[in-house]
Amino acid sequence: MKKELKIKVNGQPYDLFVKPNTLLSEVLRDDLGLTGTKRGCNSSSCGACTVMLNGMSVKSCSVLAIQANGSELVTVEGLAKGNKLSPLQNAFLDHGSYQCGFCTPGMLMSSKALLTENPKPTKEEMKEGIDGNICRCTGYNSIIRAITAVVKGEYKEAK
Amino acid sequence: MTTKFSVLGQRVHNIDGTEKVTGSAKYTFDVVLPNMLYGKILRSPHPHAKILKIDTRQAKKLIGVKAVVTGKDTLGHKQGIWRRFPELCDEEILCREKVRYIGDAVAAVAAIDEDTAEEALDLIDVEYDLLPAVFDPMEAIKEDAPQVHDGVELNINITRHIEWGDVDEAFKKCDHIREDQFKCSSQAHVCMETHDAVASFGHNGKLTVWTSTQSSYYIQRLLADMTDIRESDIRVINRHTGGGFGSKFELDSAQFCAAILSQKLCQPVKIVLSREEEFTATKRRTPMYYALKLGAKKDGTLLAKEARVITEGGAYTSMGATALYLTGFFSSFPYKYPNYRYDGYRVYTNTAPTSAMRGFGAPQSTFVGESQLDMMAEDLGIDPIEIRRKNGMTPNYEVPGQAFIQSCGLHQCLDKIDEHIKERGKLPPNHGIGVASYGFMSGGIFNWFNTPYAFSAAVVRINVDGKVDVYTGACDIGQGSNTTLAMICAEELGIKLEDVRVFSGDTGICPPDLGAWGSRQTLMSGNAVKRAAEDCKNQIMEFAAAKMGVNIVYDLDIKDSWIHIVARPERGVSYYDIVKEAIRGKDGVAIMGRGHYTPHRKGMISPAYSFGVQAVEVAVDIETGRYKLVYVTTAHESGTVINPVGIEGQLEGAIMMAGGYGYCEDQPMDDGKILNPSIADYKLIRSLDMPETKILEIDTYEPEGPFGAKEAGEGLTNPTAGAIGNAIYKAVGVRINDLPITPEKVFKALREKEKKKAK
Amino acid sequence: MIKDFEHFAPKTLKEALALLDKYQDDCKVICGGQSLLILMRQGLVAPPYMIDIKGISELSYIKDEKDGLKIGATTTHRAIEKSPVIKKKYPVLAKMETRLASIQTRNWGTIGGNVCHGDPAGDPLPVLIALGATLTMAGSKGKRSMPAEDFCLDYFETALEPVELLTEIALPIVPPNSGTAYTKFNVIESDLATVGVAVSVTLGAGDSCQDIRIVLGASAPTPMRPKKAEAVLKGKKITDALLAQAGETAATEADPISDIYASEEYRRELIKVLVPRLTREAMANAKKA
Repeated sequence: MKKELKIKVNGQPYDLFVKPNTLLSEVLRDDLGLTGTKRGCNSSSCGACTVMLNGMSVKSCSVLAIQANGSELVTVEGLAKGNKLSPLQNAFLDHGSYQCGFCTPGMLMSSKALLTENPKPTKEEMKEGIDGNICRCTGYNSIIRAITAVVKGEYKEAK
Repeated sequence: MTTKFSVLGQRVHNIDGTEKVTGSAKYTFDVVLPNMLYGKILRSPHPHAKILKIDTRQAKKLIGVKAVVTGKDTLGHKQGIWRRFPELCDEEILCREKVRYIGDAVAAVAAIDEDTAEEALDLIDVEYDLLPAVFDPMEAIKEDAPQVHDGVELNINITRHIEWGDVDEAFKKCDHIREDQFKCSSQAHVCMETHDAVASFGHNGKLTVWTSTQSSYYIQRLLADMTDIRESDIRVINRHTGGGFGSKFELDSAQFCAAILSQKLCQPVKIVLSREEEFTATKRRTPMYYALKLGAKKDGTLLAKEARVITEGGAYTSMGATALYLTGFFSSFPYKYPNYRYDGYRVYTNTAPTSAMRGFGAPQSTFVGESQLDMMAEDLGIDPIEIRRKNGMTPNYEVPGQAFIQSCGLHQCLDKIDEHIKERGKLPPNHGIGVASYGFMSGGIFNWFNTPYAFSAAVVRINVDGKVDVYTGACDIGQGSNTTLAMICAEELGIKLEDVRVFSGDTGICPPDLGAWGSRQTLMSGNAVKRAAEDCKNQIMEFAAAKMGVNIVYDLDIKDSWIHIVARPERGVSYYDIVKEAIRGKDGVAIMGRGHYTPHRKGMISPAYSFGVQAVEVAVDIETGRYKLVYVTTAHESGTVINPVGIEGQLEGAIMMAGGYGYCEDQPMDDGKILNPSIADYKLIRSLDMPETKILEIDTYEPEGPFGAKEAGEGLTNPTAGAIGNAIYKAVGVRINDLPITPEKVFKALREKEKKKAK
Repeated sequence: MIKDFEHFAPKTLKEALALLDKYQDDCKVICGGQSLLILMRQGLVAPPYMIDIKGISELSYIKDEKDGLKIGATTTHRAIEKSPVIKKKYPVLAKMETRLASIQTRNWGTIGGNVCHGDPAGDPLPVLIALGATLTMAGSKGKRSMPAEDFCLDYFETALEPVELLTEIALPIVPPNSGTAYTKFNVIESDLATVGVAVSVTLGAGDSCQDIRIVLGASAPTPMRPKKAEAVLKGKKITDALLAQAGETAATEADPISDIYASEEYRRELIKVLVPRLTREAMANAKKA
């Protein structure tokens, strides 16, 4: 039986009805068309589906959508402000912190969650921050360089 | 870094970067079409069995199921990428009579959603007659072994022989000979986007397929082979691809089953393989058993080498035949062996087919060769760098009867790594630095695919506002080829990178290109794009010369969108103005240039080779055998550097993948069943495990490459496993000859060593 | 594919227990679901009813009380990892959490869910057992408590009855001169344990071992205390020879399996190395305390 699901995604409130076995990633992708959130393993291992839920990172393939009822979500589509990219997005561009790009939305969301919680992480904390996300292309170090640049204040948040 | 270029060598954003960092990049996984159905594939749970009966009646009755197909619904053609050799086209994809590995496809369902399709799979009843199976190539090659394919003697799928010089005679002259055996494990590609396809067959008889692929052209042609739809009635579109690494240039079950189902229903069908299917039912790196014999003079001069290889082929030929050849060729790399012999046997087994993976046989040959070379150096009391210097390839070297190497910076790489190791100074206890040298090709010269087309072709169109569109069949699978090709085009035309757009990987609008494999696109597709741009440039120059009224002895060029006299750069006209006038002058036709490239007179392997040397530092916990990759430094030469950010990414990414190959990635099996078909169980290097990395760039120039460029993709995967093995030996004095070098193996070897010492 | 189920989201413990009574074996409790959803997707668990306790706020707490620390069962791993009081008084628990799966999993997954999953390779139980934790379970008929070490019965099987919920984990006050340490051996940093070892030591006069608890993870069907190994050290002045003996003894007491990650022999060898190593670390922590 479908149940009501009220969530706010990237600031936009939604009132949906979903089957209880629906995963949060499925609602985001299939119901809301937010296909930036990827599915790499569907078993909580790869992190490509990472989104922010009430300010913290979660793997949206491993959260029942109804458990997110009443929460505020941010997906990769919510990082930019209008036509201005966020500091992390700009840093990822400058440092080539993506290749095929399939893990990139999840990487960005893990990085964003890290900096939200801890604006001045050490290098070890940055590595921990993205350890739940697999990237088969970059070898991670360019992602660490991008986060480092943001931490150093090289990129300003768009107003 | 040289400054003679305006665009090349600049640190630029990938031209599709903003799409990727905003989540708007559309992958096949994201494609949704009106009236689209979802497909799922039923796979054999048995390694070897006859299909007696497939009953699909119950599945078809399930509400929401639109079609169920089996091998009987296909034309029964066997496909293979070695199209010139029909006996090597051995894979039906949807099996008709027999399954040959756990994961072989037997039926496919299209339904209104994924869950319904999956439910329907459970309702398909397949009656199998189990056959004896064989899993180990060493067993499969025996007289009485079960036959994987009827009529294939000793299950030998293909053999390869390479030889030059007089090997037997040379061994007699050696002061020292080593014979060693090695085993190279399998490896999964683990693309983040699993294999997927959306196939849409219309009532007009035309098929469009969106798919995650390394070669749209191959998929188009292979689908035509399998469906008898005319090649040009099939359009294959590859926009963004979530990784390939060698796994995505053969026709796969998602593509074929989606096409067959769509053909039956005239509705779009989407199939996305699950991660488990990705691990068990797509191809993988070829496991190899290696026997090496190496002979040298006292002074370290290598006189002869003999390599014998048996590879685990799995159930089908796939690209394994090429891996067999290349591992043999690269077993001689990057050294000047005056006498060399290679014999390779690829053996069918009832396991998942083995095929191409980044490095294509060379990571295996480099692991075994570089391990043995260090052993030889130790036997002779020679420094590992020295023995490599003594025998390493040099520019303008001919590999007898095989290949001609023009540019080669191996010796500069050795010098840099030597310096680096000295800089690292005295290491802490149980740390060790191991080195490995390597080389790789810039695209293959082989045409087993039997294409009548040029290997690469491109069309460049200049629009009235001066903006340029590049059309290329090359596939950007994340390695950044669209950016590289755009940079080549911009450099050739003397315009800004922002003025170039790239349309790639769409057979409906792009000229054919063999695609992204064998590290071929920078050189081959790059040459095609450069020539197409040059064609445009010549047309513009005609107008410019006329407009400027220059003396015909003067040379014109374009730089920073300024067409000028080379000797008098201030005398010129705007590129944008000339383009407008040129188009008007051509009766309104946009300026179009064509370019193509097929290697000729470049030997049998590749038009150019890249080289490098890598040093890996490990820290070993001698009580447990656990070790960490501390530091990886690579001196790499790839000719002119087109996209430095791209090369850094290729290098660091290769270390993650090749480090994993050396350290932890493996696919253990039990009676043909892969035991770790999930990312939780298949161990991958994550950020906390990733070593520090450093690149030492070496300047070389490759005459055959666009602006002097060559390969910088797969070769970087070659050295790491060997360097890890050598580093472990340096650190704690144990040598592991079979991959991956797990802590448990190191632990056991340390215990053995202690025992020997105690005696 | 996750099979359809009916979902209940009780807001109080009482409501949850009433639902458990009603559906008994037909229902499954979900909290963070980080392990459960994987099993459900594989079709290994397919309950018609799910009792979702993630929203029961009365079970999510970290309380520093006179007789020790109380952790509510639905407290997330991340809350434990970040808790100032845990970092101060039970640093081993916070440190263990930093290598439990990934941040995303720790943000949503809960300590209670992890413990109830009963995975012998899980990280929290060895540490909780070493710290002498008590688990409290509630059913509609009342509460009961048991030492954490008695909770697991077999692979993925616990003492929890189908009509019960784990509600609280209580940690006693750490005695003076005590220290605890935990490590897991694995090939990838944040991976599950190939072997996990937790050791808690209380030092007596002249640095003798007054009390010790050794707990092995991924070494038997349940987390286990090698009591003979403990006996080797208890009441003695610890020497390298005794530590080695304790390691050997623990390795004999353990009952590890061979799997794709490690052979049985290698797991025993790791225990031999890690028991002395962690005991030393625990002793060093005790001296710092």
